[in-house]
Amino acid sequence: MKLAINTVQILLLLLLAPLVRGVIARLKARIQNRHGASVWRPYADLLKLFRKEDLVPDSASFVFRLAPIVLFTSTLVAAAFVPLLHGSALLDATGDFVLLVYLLALGRFFLMLGAMDGGSSFGGMGASREALVSTLAEAPFLLALVSVAIAARSNSIAGMVRWTLVQDFFQFSAVHALAFAALALVAIAETGRVPVDNPTTHLELTMIHEAMVLEYSGPSLALIEWASAIKLTVIMALLIALFVPWGAASSLSAMAIGIASLVLLVKIAALVLTLALVESSVAKLRMYLVPDFLGVASALAILAVVFTALMR
Amino acid sequence: MGLFETAAAKALASSGVFLFMTVLLIAAAKRTSTCIGLFSVQSLVITAQIVAASRMHHLAEGFVIAAMVLTVKVVAIPYALYRIVEELKAPRDVSSSTSSSQSVFIAAGLILLSFFAVRPYIGVLGGDQAMLAASVALVLTGGFLMISRKKALMQVVGLLVLDNGIFLAALTTTFGMPLVIEIGIVFDLLMGVFLMGLFVFRIRDTFNHVDVSKLRRLRG
Repeated sequence: MKLAINTVQILLLLLLAPLVRGVIARLKARIQNRHGASVWRPYADLLKLFRKEDLVPDSASFVFRLAPIVLFTSTLVAAAFVPLLHGSALLDATGDFVLLVYLLALGRFFLMLGAMDGGSSFGGMGASREALVSTLAEAPFLLALVSVAIAARSNSIAGMVRWTLVQDFFQFSAVHALAFAALALVAIAETGRVPVDNPTTHLELTMIHEAMVLEYSGPSLALIEWASAIKLTVIMALLIALFVPWGAASSLSAMAIGIASLVLLVKIAALVLTLALVESSVAKLRMYLVPDFLGVASALAILAVVFTALMR
Repeated sequence: MGLFETAAAKALASSGVFLFMTVLLIAAAKRTSTCIGLFSVQSLVITAQIVAASRMHHLAEGFVIAAMVLTVKVVAIPYALYRIVEELKAPRDVSSSTSSSQSVFIAAGLILLSFFAVRPYIGVLGGDQAMLAASVALVLTGGFLMISRKKALMQVVGLLVLDNGIFLAALTTTFGMPLVIEIGIVFDLLMGVFLMGLFVFRIRDTFNHVDVSKLRRLRG
């Protein structure tokens, strides 16, 4: 029963990730007074791309073909660490939060390799920018998770969630507030959303993720797009699981799971709405201001770790 | 214990966290108007604290002080400052001499410092360590804002944050000063802000900017 629910969690993440993207795009369009495309459009895009031919540049090596596959699988495995409906996940016992962070980093690394392997100058430019952003985002990401892990006395994500579930809903701990702020900033940088990168841009001067996938086409591009949609949903789910897991099922009955799914849906909807509002009201940062943005996240994360000692 | 009492106790227990967050956000903010809004939020947290404390200790005059702080610090002063920002038509950024990540690092350091600073006095003064530390941290970051921000208006915001810290220290250690003195302080502050607003306009009219780092002619 537990295994079945955990498998369903992963499948949900896998299948609903494009929908989350579609809803964000539609909400942003509505906020900006446009009609916007249907929320199902990312699925149509993926279907279309999977049926198309995969064009590989003449100069590219096998890494170019390998990169999307590694990116997709590593993101999917990372998704298997995040509990959604109740306090456990599929790969609960096999790895800790460090593994989660570096599985996401592995996918990024291969995407950068693939981008440079494609041979276009934009690919190299996007890869170098991505390297800068991910290097700076890694420390606050890890430190924020470390602070929560110390507070929860557990190093698996599911363990932290189970600990948070039995805490007092109203008692805000400074550690969690600071770690949440740091992780929210990191999440924006990790998923390439607006103040750091614009997912819809096609202006060469500003793009990061778009520049990296410029040479990709067909099924490879579909895998990359799907992986980045899953990554966005995984990081949202991680924020929810670590900081507001209340409402998740405590028993494995159908009733509890049903309620937990509804609560989770509401929480994701709230996060999606926040993201759409932020993206519509904030201007993209200049590339040279991104280190400053992530420096703020680092300061918050370090303070969170120090507070675990103060608050004991 | 009734619902209100529970909520009041929770508000008291966790408002220190909110105050630390507002301090860090003010340090990170890039626009003067954001800082003013955050100051308003900070005063709102302190108002909630006054209400909670006076409810728990059954002090009727606490509610008067809370209402006064609400009208002056949460509404009147931020509104006046917003108006000044609009009327000045100066660039909107705070033009800090430290970058926003450096400011957050420094504010974080000041918060830690204040935790260590209040540690010896917890037993003597009573009160919550986080709350006492928050008041010291507000005083320190208020001073830091006044030093590092070059906009004349940010000096006013820094002073207000500093004053919030002093107010909070009085509240946590002695449940506030007598009502008459509180009224005096709050209206002093109101007058001070209006005077400083006038000065900002004078600076703008005389020098065509509001950058205090360029005001060097009177230096000895």
